[in-house]
Amino acid sequence: MHQKYATCNWKGLLRWTCAFALAMSSTFSVAENAKPLIVGMELAYPPFEMTDQSGKPTGVSVDLATDLAKSLGRPVVIQNTAFDGLIPALKTGKVDLVISSMTATPERAQSIDFSDPYVATGLCLLLNRKSAVKGMEVLDRPGVKVAVKKGTTGHLYASSRFKQAEVLVLDKESSAVLEVSQGKVDAFIYDQMSTYQNWRRNSETTRAILEPFQKESWAIGLRKGNDELKAKVNSFLIEYRANGGFERLGDRYLGEMKGEFKRLGYAFFL
Amino acid sequence: MDFFLRQRPGQAVTSAALIASWCLVALLTTAVFSFAFNQLHYGWNWSAIWQYRQKFLQGWLMTVAISAAALLCSLLIGLLTALARRSSVLPLRHLAMLYVEVIRGTPLLVQILILFYVVANAFGVDNRYVVGVLTLSLFAGAYLAEMIRSGIESIRDSQLESARAIGLTRTQTYRYVIFPQVVRQLIPPLTGQFASIIKDSSLLSIIAVSEFTLNAQEVNAFTYSTLESYLPLAGGYLLLTLPVSLFSRYLERRFHFAT
Repeated sequence: MHQKYATCNWKGLLRWTCAFALAMSSTFSVAENAKPLIVGMELAYPPFEMTDQSGKPTGVSVDLATDLAKSLGRPVVIQNTAFDGLIPALKTGKVDLVISSMTATPERAQSIDFSDPYVATGLCLLLNRKSAVKGMEVLDRPGVKVAVKKGTTGHLYASSRFKQAEVLVLDKESSAVLEVSQGKVDAFIYDQMSTYQNWRRNSETTRAILEPFQKESWAIGLRKGNDELKAKVNSFLIEYRANGGFERLGDRYLGEMKGEFKRLGYAFFL
Repeated sequence: MDFFLRQRPGQAVTSAALIASWCLVALLTTAVFSFAFNQLHYGWNWSAIWQYRQKFLQGWLMTVAISAAALLCSLLIGLLTALARRSSVLPLRHLAMLYVEVIRGTPLLVQILILFYVVANAFGVDNRYVVGVLTLSLFAGAYLAEMIRSGIESIRDSQLESARAIGLTRTQTYRYVIFPQVVRQLIPPLTGQFASIIKDSSLLSIIAVSEFTLNAQEVNAFTYSTLESYLPLAGGYLLLTLPVSLFSRYLERRFHFAT
């Protein structure tokens, strides 16, 4: 009787302790860890942000977001948002982070904070093969038509500096490339990696000048004043770089382009 | 409560009731929206938008020009298609039917892309404004054609027979019997369609036609002030569609003769 009572008590105690510990840990994880990390990106920028055949998000930024969330101990949620809606989404708290190949510009830094940069790239030109325009120096002339994608640094560059050329603002990268390859515009201002890919895909009708006329770096966007998360993100980036995480992403998604850019002397991941 | 009730259709409303009723409506709308906007924690930044007022104005003027051109072209296309559908030439009738069905059954977005990047490209038309107005007119024309056709077909056979009996030709029948009646019937649906054309012109932004919506989106992209960019956009479209509505009321009254 006594024995039985003791056992019961011991078991009960154990059960209680376990239940308590579980409850505690789950409360903590709800408050600290289990809250999903919502990452905003536009899934229209392969190989960085894209979807696979089944429609699942994939690409360099998706893997980066997943690894970052893992290191924070939180599940990741990818929120597909149009590029010009990313900063508003971040500001209104619809997403926690923006990882969408976003260039850290002073203008954007007035609205949001940026982590340390993780990719170095630059703006360059995709030209129509038959266009009389031969380079950046003759782009801003009367009669020249230049395509840009809405809200990108190319758009900001063209609208603030070009005085004479006609700037055409398009919603999608693919339409801008189509405009160049059909010769409706002379040039498309975009980043090096995409320009390289677009040129390879349309090598009969287009030409690329990969030499960047404006250097840029990409960083992770955070809400202003979110310094705790910013410190965590920055230390994650240092660790990730040291562990060869970026090398692995490059090998996995960029393939031949990685070697090609190394040959041309353009660094990629910092 | 009797104050707001109209006893019989056609009975005049006192001006006091008119004013009180409008005030009530305005008060209700204001209450709902001011509540909604007060719930919003949003850092308004109108000064950033004010710097781009020129861009808004240019875009708005472009939308006015595109809509006006599309309005006229679509009316012409709609009228010709409606007549073609009643024509005695069979291929013409079938062509009109195919046109109406294809246009009404496919999204405007796809029509714009195909007409600009495929059809216009093949024919060497590179002016995106011309292609834009044409696409918009073709799109609206299909709807207008059906409205006009249903208007024409609402005229009773007895009238057409009478017209023939007094020796009117086909053209004269259309001119003196059918159209005067159809016009009055058509005004309300036409107004709706014209308002649609004005709003649908915003889709032309996908081929980089620099109209009102695209300019507002650009300002949004520069300033990250979404609501401040889009609220003037809504106001600008209302500024265009309201006069169309008011003008149609006026025309309705003018053509309101006894039948």
